[in-house]
Amino acid sequence: MPRDLVSGLFWLAVAILAAVHGLSSLQFGSLSRPGPGFFPFWGGVVLALLSAVLIVSSFRRAPVTSRVRPESWKPVVVVGALLGYLLLLESLGFVAVTFLFLLLLFRLERRGWAVSAVSAVIGALASYVLFQVWLKTQLPTGPFGF
Amino acid sequence: MELFHGVLYGFQVALQPINLLYCFVGVFIGTLVGVLPGLGPAAAIALLLPSTFAASPVSAIIMLAGIYYGAMYGGSTTSILVNIPGEAASVVTCLDGHAMARQGRAGAALGIAAFGSFIAGTFSVVLLTFLAPFLARVTLSFGPPEYFALMVLGLTLLTYFARESMVKALMMAAVGLLCGSVGQDVISGRFRFAFGIRTLEDGLGLVPVIMGLFGISEVLLNLERREEATEIFTPPTTGLLPTRGDWRASAAPIFRGSVLGFFLGILPGAGAIIASFVSYAVEKRVSRHPERFGTGAIEGVAGPEAANNAAAGGAFIPLLTLGIPANAVMAILLGALMIHGLQPGPLLVKQAPDVFWGIITSMYIGNAMLLVLNLPLIPMWALLLRVPYAIMFPFILLFCLIGAYSVGNNVGDGLVMWVFGIVGYLLKKFDYEGAPLILAMVIGPMMEEALRQSLILSSGSFAVFVSRPISAGFILVSALLLLLPLLRRGHDLIPRQR
Repeated sequence: MPRDLVSGLFWLAVAILAAVHGLSSLQFGSLSRPGPGFFPFWGGVVLALLSAVLIVSSFRRAPVTSRVRPESWKPVVVVGALLGYLLLLESLGFVAVTFLFLLLLFRLERRGWAVSAVSAVIGALASYVLFQVWLKTQLPTGPFGF
Repeated sequence: MELFHGVLYGFQVALQPINLLYCFVGVFIGTLVGVLPGLGPAAAIALLLPSTFAASPVSAIIMLAGIYYGAMYGGSTTSILVNIPGEAASVVTCLDGHAMARQGRAGAALGIAAFGSFIAGTFSVVLLTFLAPFLARVTLSFGPPEYFALMVLGLTLLTYFARESMVKALMMAAVGLLCGSVGQDVISGRFRFAFGIRTLEDGLGLVPVIMGLFGISEVLLNLERREEATEIFTPPTTGLLPTRGDWRASAAPIFRGSVLGFFLGILPGAGAIIASFVSYAVEKRVSRHPERFGTGAIEGVAGPEAANNAAAGGAFIPLLTLGIPANAVMAILLGALMIHGLQPGPLLVKQAPDVFWGIITSMYIGNAMLLVLNLPLIPMWALLLRVPYAIMFPFILLFCLIGAYSVGNNVGDGLVMWVFGIVGYLLKKFDYEGAPLILAMVIGPMMEEALRQSLILSSGSFAVFVSRPISAGFILVSALLLLLPLLRRGHDLIPRQR
């Protein structure tokens, strides 16, 4: 499928959802007293029209079907690591999660275990000192007290 | 006389030791961000915004502004020495700047980039000093219809300058408007698009969205690119001062770049990137030897580097006089001003003269600091470029995570950043730009309020936007800009083929 068709259909779906949300679950109001659903509804309508233009033009032009798949698995791992970091942050505490996160990412670029582990320890402790001690950011503490 | 007092007052504010320190930290970090490819000024400012919560509003904005124009200086170093743009506005500097480095003229290129930046930066701050208070007085008379029409024009201009397709840019603006309406409705107090999720009830945070779109997604894209062995030129420690011949060749391009950059900087969406490209094109056209461009013509470095710095100054005009951001960086500065309890717009000069004049005058000081800092420190920046990306990217991600967490000390903002990181990655893959989305998201709530107030004023008649002369003018120009590409066949209404 042409790329613009894929993305056009996606935004069309978003637009319809937004317009429906604006019209049904929020109050549309009237032109002289626009309600909270007024702006989201018209935003959705405009987006839907533009998506339609894109979809139509994607048929008229020679399709661009170059690869959109990730060219390597690295971004997928990183996306997973970021989510894991956020989900574990408050239960494991900043230093432990940061250590695991850095260890994984250093390993991703094929550094040795020893080098990665040492760098991750240094990185985790240095960022703890920088953010918690110096900049006084309130980072979550884990069961180990840091 | 009023202007004179303002400037004097501004210097009193900007020269306080604490503000000098913040200014220095700002331009230093800015240069660092500019030098390092893969972290742009928008993501960096979003990242550092939470750390300024404890500072006074003036100090905070002085530092954040310093990051922005500091990045314009830093970007050229990487372009010249490594042939990779340190940030997007230095793309064209690669062409002739790196060619000069190959010919052993890296010193001249770095020198003229720094001096050109300084001259243009100062030039645009002078214009800003004169124009901003004057414009603030003009826009004071704007009512909701004028504001709404102006914001329509702003978004139209933004999409008109889109590098990919105009339709896609308009779509991104529409998505941004929808993103901006997430959270509590100001007028009725109802939650929109919140679905009972606490983080969404507060609205999408600007900081996590920007860090996702411009920080995380950039890292994801960089990881995919095959690593190429890059040759880093060892920067010269002498010969940074341009010769008399270099000056003769560069004086006119610097001047043209400054004027061009300043005025393009004012327009929403045009900004530093477009300014540098336009300047390069202009210099090539007026040159008697256009064939020298791309092979190490100093004009090709001087003009664009002047233009992107002047644009950074010009971009402050709409922010300070209208409260409307011209680019993603200004959007965060707008957010920063509001977090610190200030309302940017025509009243800023009256309500918070220390902030208004303090920011403007701090830029004179910041530009001078950058010139003094940059030339001697170039070897240090070059050393930094040797740090492999494999070591750098985990820390960029970590800082984004900490930054997003520290906005509200909860994981919710981090998850918003995560989602927008993936969205930003996919947008790039499908040839969309993130900038219109961010701007529309910031302008959205203001635009909605202006629209609804206008309609209440006019009891539901859209004629209010065309019956008032100023707003009618804005609407007319917007309509022309939208129709122009339709008339010119083959313009980028339909996405360009790669």
